Amino acid sequence: MSALKQVHFPKTPEEAARLLARGDGVRCLAGGASLVAMMNLDLVDPDELVSLAEVAELKGIASLPDGGLRIGAMTRHRELETEARLAGPFAVLREAAGKVANPPVRNMGTIGGVVALADPAADYPSALVAADAVIELASERGRRRVPAREFFVGLYATALAPAEIVSAILLPPAAAGVGLYDKLARVAGDHAIVSVALAVTRRPRGDLGVGLAIGGCGLTPVHRAEADVLLAAGALGDAAARRAGELLAAAADPLNDVRASADYRRLAIPRMVTRAVARAREELGRLG
Amino acid sequence: MSVRQTLVLRVNDAEREVRPALHDTLLTVLRDELQLTGAKRGCNHGVCGACTVLVDGRPVRACLTLAHTCRGAAITTIEGVTGIADRLRSAFEDANAVQCGFCTSAMVLVAAALVAERPGASIEEIRTGLSGNLCRCTGYRKIVDAVCAVAQGTGR
Ligand SMILES: Cc1cc2nc3c(=O)[nH]c(=O)nc-3n(C[C@H](O)[C@H](O)[C@H](O)COP(=O)(O)OP(=O)(O)OC[C@H]3O[C@@H](n4cnc5c(N)ncnc54)[C@H](O)[C@@H]3O)c2cc1C
Ligand code: FES
Ligand code: FES
Repeated sequence: MSALKQVHFPKTPEEAARLLARGDGVRCLAGGASLVAMMNLDLVDPDELVSLAEVAELKGIASLPDGGLRIGAMTRHRELETEARLAGPFAVLREAAGKVANPPVRNMGTIGGVVALADPAADYPSALVAADAVIELASERGRRRVPAREFFVGLYATALAPAEIVSAILLPPAAAGVGLYDKLARVAGDHAIVSVALAVTRRPRGDLGVGLAIGGCGLTPVHRAEADVLLAAGALGDAAARRAGELLAAAADPLNDVRASADYRRLAIPRMVTRAVARAREELGRLG
Repeated sequence: MSVRQTLVLRVNDAEREVRPALHDTLLTVLRDELQLTGAKRGCNHGVCGACTVLVDGRPVRACLTLAHTCRGAAITTIEGVTGIADRLRSAFEDANAVQCGFCTSAMVLVAAALVAERPGASIEEIRTGLSGNLCRCTGYRKIVDAVCAVAQGTGR
């Protein structure tokens, strides 16, 4: 027997946040791809749901005056995987979107839902950390911004406060560069065993800015500024890639689970990093 | 007691009044209230694809969609298909792409949406498009053959 007594359809993020404040048993509903699955399995039994489907502000991708992008929380994986403005280093997010689940689930699931759920095996968290994206949150008290690198704090745990929603993902103006996302999984459509997200920016003076993060290998995306600096200073060379990969493998705290053992993951990290860096180097070369 | 509310759904171009519980999924309503049993319940958590129907022309999991969030949407099930999907249905027969049939209605709907979006879709695009739907009988090859036959006829 379900406890569900009411489903709300607010029109603004603030109204949604106000409804969430009604109590602990009130949850917001985005694409439902995870929440309804959990309800069907009797893992959660909300008293009330706040559907975000009719909040116009959360839909779509807008270009900002400074050249950056504002991705509404209700943007589906499907829209992101075909978004031409996710170019240069931000192609990391486009490639990640195309590797989430399978086509029908990509028609349902939203970026806000993934970010809020913070499943350690999900595809966006590492991509957003690599791209140095910013998460915008909305509550009755107003808006605040948290860098993706600080947002994911633990297993299914984020910087979201009670009665606060993810309203948008913000990307800075795109610079020249390359972004890529590589996912090792048992079969297409499964969650990652290990994933590598890499965003490389070529700065006007010719030096590189690098963001490298690993997914599926700990409670939160694995990122070390030291590894980014190594790769930039080593011009994405093989030696730098090997050292960065070893550094991240040592920093990772992978689980033993049904997909793979922790040891297997630790072995796979440096190999996948080397492969991703080689591809980035090649693509950057082709940019001229 | 589960809370039930009246809801008007637009299914296969007809308005249908139903009275599902708030937590009932679209799959439950289609199968148990509207007796549209083409959509199957396999896993009930998004993995197998047997429940897939079209909502506003796009394939989604009926088992992960709460019925009350479908107000205003156009729902298409295998019982209401016309055009490409109907041609696909014959092509599945011709290619012997149906064994037990549990996966078939969803396969046809997913393929129809794919061919409508990408006329002349390549075999790779077809394989990727169908990758979220499991078939335990055919080994997929005949299904892909059937979809290819129809996709090629649509040209690019
Ligand atoms: C078969 C299957 C395979 C999958 N494979 C993958 C995969 O390979 N990689 C991957 O990354 N994901 C995968 N997923 C998960 C998928 O990406 C989901 O879409 C996603 O986790 C949840 O997004 P949603 O929009 O459906 O959110 P919902 O299921 O509606 O909500 C998820 C949670 O987030 C909360 N929430 C939703 N939106 C917000 C918001 N804006 N602000 C605050 N809280 C919010 C909800 O209250 C709920 O707790 C898979 C799912 C399925 C069913
Ligand atoms: S029953 Fe919906 S995906 Fe299996
Ligand atoms: S024909 Fe039996 S599952 Fe596909």
